[in-house]
Amino acid sequence: MSKEEESSVYRVQDEVSLLRASLNGEVEAWGEIVSRYKEAILGLCVGFLRNCPDAEDISHDTFIRAYENLHRYHMEKRFSTWIFTIASNLCRNRLRYRRRHPILPLPVQMEGGCSPAITIAQEDRQAQIRQGLSRLPYRYRAPITLRYYNDLSYHQIARVLSLPEGTIKTHIYRGKALLKQEIEKMEVVNHA
Amino acid sequence: MHKDDLEKLLRDTLQQEVSEERHYLDGLEKKIVAELTGRLPRRGWLQTLTRLFTQMEGSHRRQLAVIGITAVIFLFLGIFVSERLPLFRGLFSTYDKQHTTTITANSNRGQLLFVMPAPGAQTVAVVGSFNNWEPTLLTDEDEDGIWLTNLSLTPGRYEYAFVVDGRWWGQDPLADEYVRSFGGYNSVRYVGYTGDNI
Repeated sequence: MSKEEESSVYRVQDEVSLLRASLNGEVEAWGEIVSRYKEAILGLCVGFLRNCPDAEDISHDTFIRAYENLHRYHMEKRFSTWIFTIASNLCRNRLRYRRRHPILPLPVQMEGGCSPAITIAQEDRQAQIRQGLSRLPYRYRAPITLRYYNDLSYHQIARVLSLPEGTIKTHIYRGKALLKQEIEKMEVVNHA
Repeated sequence: MHKDDLEKLLRDTLQQEVSEERHYLDGLEKKIVAELTGRLPRRGWLQTLTRLFTQMEGSHRRQLAVIGITAVIFLFLGIFVSERLPLFRGLFSTYDKQHTTTITANSNRGQLLFVMPAPGAQTVAVVGSFNNWEPTLLTDEDEDGIWLTNLSLTPGRYEYAFVVDGRWWGQDPLADEYVRSFGGYNSVRYVGYTGDNI
């Protein structure tokens, strides 16, 4: 079977079969898992880290780490929660590392997230959100990303971040309130 | 700003950020597959065994089962023979034959044999609750490095330790149990009954 045919076979398989095949050393099956989760993982990393080169690094490491530790995954549990937990832990480690080894600030890019083109247009609401998210403490940013990018329930977020569900709800609520304040402040500055 | 507007903006912004990184996502799976090729995920030992077993043909599986069962039978038979027949009892350890059995026999009569292997030692003593923690010297008459003393004790629980050239040696391999004491260990032996009966 050619590589193309092989990957098209994997494309129609369900997640559990793919994971079983991956566990048996079929790396192409893991490739299909990567293509199904890559956007979700990258989004999580961008949201958590607010730094694109680091987010790319951690997305890559997440898939490698998950593959290496696949034997620890219990098939009856939700795979997405498991892989998001790995990504979230790796992000946390990277943030700790960044506290000791900060990147030299690039005036345009740092505040606005990934794209300098967007941040130049300060009036743009999305640019404000990006800036606001970058200023938000990690404890609020992480659950907000999981909720509004990864579409996880409060229960799932609690499992990924190993926090009580009530704490997650509070953090999301406070995070949004802070974000709103930040945006309002930016608007005042822009209008002044 | 309305709550729903903020949530929608958050969703759109995060989506937008990821779509700007599409160049990175393109071909990520191929990159990962290339990196992982030839590198199997680590497995737990149970999974490895299960996998090996399930991949075997039926006849091989039966052969393996027969070998396994035979091995287990021989193992139990070996343990049984070495425990029950006097001829084999000391086969694996002459030390056990000489000392363990003596202690068990003497314990019931109130005699307790203390044995301490300490080749090259100058003095070996035993201190414990039976001698008010005053040293009772052990002797090595045949100079084989095994120091012995036999004490006659009334039935009870005795806590003790050896002192080898002034060093505390709290864990006697022949003890019934160990207890923690002042940051170290002491050994415990029972005379006349077992610890379970107390």
